[in-house]
Amino acid sequence: MERRTFLQAAATAPAVLAATLHEDLPKYRIVSPFQATAHPGMPGPYPGKVAQVHAEKSIDAASEKVDVPTVREMIAQGMRALTGDTDARDSWARFFTPADVVGIKVNCSGAPRIMSTPEVVGEIVRNLGAVGVKPDQIWIYERFQGQVDSVHYDRYVPAGVNIWTAEHSRGSIAGYDPKVYVEANFFGEEDTRSNLSRPVSERFTKIINVPNMKDHGAAGVTGCLKNIAYGSFSNVARSHSGFKTNTYSFIGTLATVEPLRSRTVLQIMDGLRGVWHGGPFSFNRKFRFYPKQMMFGTDPVAIDRLELDVIDGKRKAEHATSVWDRSMSHIKAGRDYDDNPSIDRFVREPGHIEYASTLGLGVYDLQKIQVRKIEL
Amino acid sequence: MTLCFFLAALLPWLHWDQGPATADAVKQAGIERLYVPAGQESAWKAAGFEARSFDAAQFVKLPAPGVEYKMNVAAATSMPWVDANGWRFERDRGGHAYYYNVPWRKAPLAAAEAYVYGVEAVIHPDARDIGAFGQMLAFLRNIDRPPMPVMANIGIIDDGSAATGEVLNLMARRNLLFQVVQAPDPKKYDLAVQIGTKDFPKEEAANPYAFATLIRQKLTDEKRLLRIYGSDVVLGRMAGDGEQVRVHLINYGGGKVEGLRVRVRGEYPHGALAAIGVKTTALVDLNAADGATEFTIAEMGVYAVVDLKR
Repeated sequence: MERRTFLQAAATAPAVLAATLHEDLPKYRIVSPFQATAHPGMPGPYPGKVAQVHAEKSIDAASEKVDVPTVREMIAQGMRALTGDTDARDSWARFFTPADVVGIKVNCSGAPRIMSTPEVVGEIVRNLGAVGVKPDQIWIYERFQGQVDSVHYDRYVPAGVNIWTAEHSRGSIAGYDPKVYVEANFFGEEDTRSNLSRPVSERFTKIINVPNMKDHGAAGVTGCLKNIAYGSFSNVARSHSGFKTNTYSFIGTLATVEPLRSRTVLQIMDGLRGVWHGGPFSFNRKFRFYPKQMMFGTDPVAIDRLELDVIDGKRKAEHATSVWDRSMSHIKAGRDYDDNPSIDRFVREPGHIEYASTLGLGVYDLQKIQVRKIEL
Repeated sequence: MTLCFFLAALLPWLHWDQGPATADAVKQAGIERLYVPAGQESAWKAAGFEARSFDAAQFVKLPAPGVEYKMNVAAATSMPWVDANGWRFERDRGGHAYYYNVPWRKAPLAAAEAYVYGVEAVIHPDARDIGAFGQMLAFLRNIDRPPMPVMANIGIIDDGSAATGEVLNLMARRNLLFQVVQAPDPKKYDLAVQIGTKDFPKEEAANPYAFATLIRQKLTDEKRLLRIYGSDVVLGRMAGDGEQVRVHLINYGGGKVEGLRVRVRGEYPHGALAAIGVKTTALVDLNAADGATEFTIAEMGVYAVVDLKR
């Protein structure tokens, strides 16, 4: 069943106004030889527009088995709903040509328990192939090799598709571009640079961002913005220390760096699985849940704004603290948060999404976000 | 910035107590001179070595260089603790000779450290390291050249206290290039540090980490002679004469470092790399502009030296 009406979401935004909480933002210096294109990929041609597809059959919660035909239909309908085309191939062709070299930014920080679902990635690759992008022009990329290796994406995509990671050994910056970086001194750390993954600046012409729907102990939630930002740059964990995190401003700042911003043309939120506490990892099975949905758009802010309510709604249903709760009473060092959803490691910064909107990355105001909901 | 000449280049000696029966193995390692237990000098000399009798009282004993990884639990990130002796050498320019008794796989690191600081040193390795130690000596011999003035732009007055020693240690670990001086000299140094003054209160020095941060802030990162990106366990030392600079880089971490990015103050468009134990010995992405030179070392083992020219 499909509802073909665009719904105007009208939920009330959380009352925390980040601007009043973050008067002293870190000083950032962005170094890049790249100029923005006339129409950067973020927020792209569909600012404030999200196609949200839910399919009960998409994944079996008990076995976590993914139903590939359902996923295929979710992607087809989501892309059509986003672009207004009647043929999904036309939708893909709006974004990609046979000449493109396409990076697919997966999220594997919780792998192999939760990650950009390989069946979803496989279907994305199939659609790229349908518009003429050859396998060897497709690059699945992430930061850490160990995480990606645990997923075995190669089993879900045609031979020739490249699977690339920036850090074969943790901390190596060989896979990052020395000419493109953001410099900031958060806590007096010695290495003050975060460099962009080399293929983003040196190889890709387009990027598809495929995050998961997850709670995040520092950022509040991790979605499109966090995945494309922290997942494309080196040395980002330095933005957290003690109970403080600078995700509020660092995520959006990284996402604005060229050519990342211009080349990231499509956002596909993979919410088949989700994590409502303990993210971005998923060490504890009891915090995993199954939204069984995907979101499609070009505006990472709008999608993340919707995701925020999914995660916080689930936390509330589970009687966990809100991602917006800034009180120190539930902040605790150590590993207790692994098992207790009322304990956090950091003061969370879900305001990073609204902050990103102030950088021109998308639409945050729910009243201005057009959501087209589709039920399969 | 001040200039102070290195001592003549010194290669470390081996302290070897395995007995003259192991002479062939030592010779195969390319080692020609060594300290041996009293009474063995003749036998070693007869085997063709320059041998001296070892007397521990002649040396200042040093801790083994290396790195410990201590978890910063709240941040869930690893925070390496570098054990390095460079600050001791900077502090103690009294012509002492030093002694390293180092565990397996640390002998090359100790040799590189002693060489970079131009100190007389004797190294007692694990017997399994004799080959690696010999390779490091050969590498050092190969890169050795006439000394140039040491480069530093922080002058610090040392009261000899343990607290100041720890400040020196933290400065060295952060690649804040300093020299110990007798009195502030603003003409020679970008920053003069004297603990107990208004700018550097004594109570602040009780936290050496914070104190080193304070020094860094007052100097500013722009004025730093050396910045290293991509590793917390590589420490540097520089020497130069205005036209050329030699950058010594010591990796205390035990493993290879990939993709080290280095920034040196001053524009030097020409550079060459020598590195031990790695395949790639070309500088990558060298860029000299805006008052600084940056380059990447694709892969680095224990020690690398970069020669830059204007």
